[in-house]
Amino acid sequence: MSNHSSTTKRKTFAVRVLRKDSPESESYWERHDVEYEPDMNIISVLQKIASKGESSSGKKIAPVAWDCNCLEEVCGACTMVVNGKTRQACSSLIDRLLEESPSEIVLSPMSKFPVVRDLVVDRKRIFHNLKKVKAWVPVDTYSDMGPGPKQSRQQQEEAYPLSECMSCGCCLEACPQYLKIEVTRKNGETDEAFEQRQKEAYDKGFIGANTISQVVLFNNNPTGQMNAKERTDAIMQEGGIQICGNAQNCVAVCPKEIPLTTSIAKAGRAATIRGLQRIFDK
Amino acid sequence: MSSAQSSFLARHEFLIRRLHSLTGLLPVGAYMCVHLFTNATILDSVQLFQNAIYGIHTLGDALILVEWGFIFLPLIFHAVLGMAYVSGGLPNPTAYSYGSNWRYTLQRATGIIAFLFIFWHVFHMHGWFHAEWWLENVARPLGGAMFSPYNAASTAGKAMQSTPIVPILYTIGVLACVFHFANGLWTMGITWGLWTTPQAQKRANFLSIGVGTLLGIVSLSAIAAFTQVDTKKAGEIEEHLQEKRLESGFINEKQLHHKSVDDHSTDQENSTSKGDETPKPQNGSGT
Repeated sequence: MSNHSSTTKRKTFAVRVLRKDSPESESYWERHDVEYEPDMNIISVLQKIASKGESSSGKKIAPVAWDCNCLEEVCGACTMVVNGKTRQACSSLIDRLLEESPSEIVLSPMSKFPVVRDLVVDRKRIFHNLKKVKAWVPVDTYSDMGPGPKQSRQQQEEAYPLSECMSCGCCLEACPQYLKIEVTRKNGETDEAFEQRQKEAYDKGFIGANTISQVVLFNNNPTGQMNAKERTDAIMQEGGIQICGNAQNCVAVCPKEIPLTTSIAKAGRAATIRGLQRIFDK
Repeated sequence: MSSAQSSFLARHEFLIRRLHSLTGLLPVGAYMCVHLFTNATILDSVQLFQNAIYGIHTLGDALILVEWGFIFLPLIFHAVLGMAYVSGGLPNPTAYSYGSNWRYTLQRATGIIAFLFIFWHVFHMHGWFHAEWWLENVARPLGGAMFSPYNAASTAGKAMQSTPIVPILYTIGVLACVFHFANGLWTMGITWGLWTTPQAQKRANFLSIGVGTLLGIVSLSAIAAFTQVDTKKAGEIEEHLQEKRLESGFINEKQLHHKSVDDHSTDQENSTSKGDETPKPQNGSGT
């Protein structure tokens, strides 16, 4: 312990967390002084805060809630806003963050999704949109259909980066055209009625870069191609690809470096052709 | 807005947004290029500029159809929808300060500036409507409708020289329009699926920068030239051109009469230069 602190400049560093106790309650900032260790990430900071159990003012606190799964930037669950930028907590390294901003580290939940608690958000809308565009290859039988069509090397190379998407939502958080949709349950509303209302609200909002990119992925799959028109139609509905404003933040913040703007332009081209078909091939 | 109305807009959102994108280029953007290059003929001479305006006005009374059908209505469509679209975004260039994100924000800012500027500019030069009661009682008393097509350079010069703030407003407004058009070309290419890869988009961005720089130079030099025009001398040249055109039958008295009714109040300021010339038939019949 003393070795560590003697080799480094700092013993502790400040962390400010935007907390929220429940979806209905107000957000509030809480400051923590965290003991420095080399090679920390945001996850280990949050664990330290949990084990300490008190804020920098000495107030007893409940542990900060956050989502996580894989801890190796593959699942996307721990996505949050760190020092004003959206990223995964697991791959946000403290040493690098302190270089960027030595005074403090600021953690807040993603701003485009409803907050469940502290840093945990409800990203249901992402999965709603993936369902809307049928982001999969449908297999409607259990019988042996034989081998699928062969994919060329080029097709594989184009598809692989798109298949790396982990639906983390970074592209949506940074997108100026993707706005938060939060539907609150009415008094005495049934689960079904609430979910229906939520779905209708989601259908009006922008589908976002990740979903458009998945449409390109599955429309270029030799088997998935069979449903290409259906998927392109889905991204031409209200809240579809036409909402994109070409700010191109999506591709800049994507942790998997997915060529999202290339996907958007390709889907835009497909939508142009589909639009002409709809008008002139009637 | 009734629910039927909003559902119509929602059902056709794709088509409407694509039409919004298209009208930015055709006809609105294309018209702007023609307009800016026509203005720039003043850099050559008063004659060349006046002749260019004569060319436009050869359509006579049909010009109003072109004006409303190909300029005003598409422009209003593009502008009004654009304002609605601006309100549907949440620009965040300080949090994510990438070049393209700044351009996204500037595209919206210049759109708003262009909206306000064109609204005022059309009033200032054109007057919005060419009904005589409107021009007489509203537009001209409020400092609008200053441009008169058969006295093109002198009236445009006068309009630009009326106060020092006018060329400043024109510079800001025109540069906003030029940026909006040039950057709009780039985003349009992505929207319609013309340039897809980052490399192609980078090349297309150079194209946009080129177009924007060229139009910027063309339009700013025209503004500078209009602030320098000797309006009295220009007026004399225009009267001379008008006479010759009338003599040779390129324009007829009806056109001239029609125009001079529109223009007579701005022409009054010109009367000193007119006074020492031969009497014009249009003056007698028009006033």
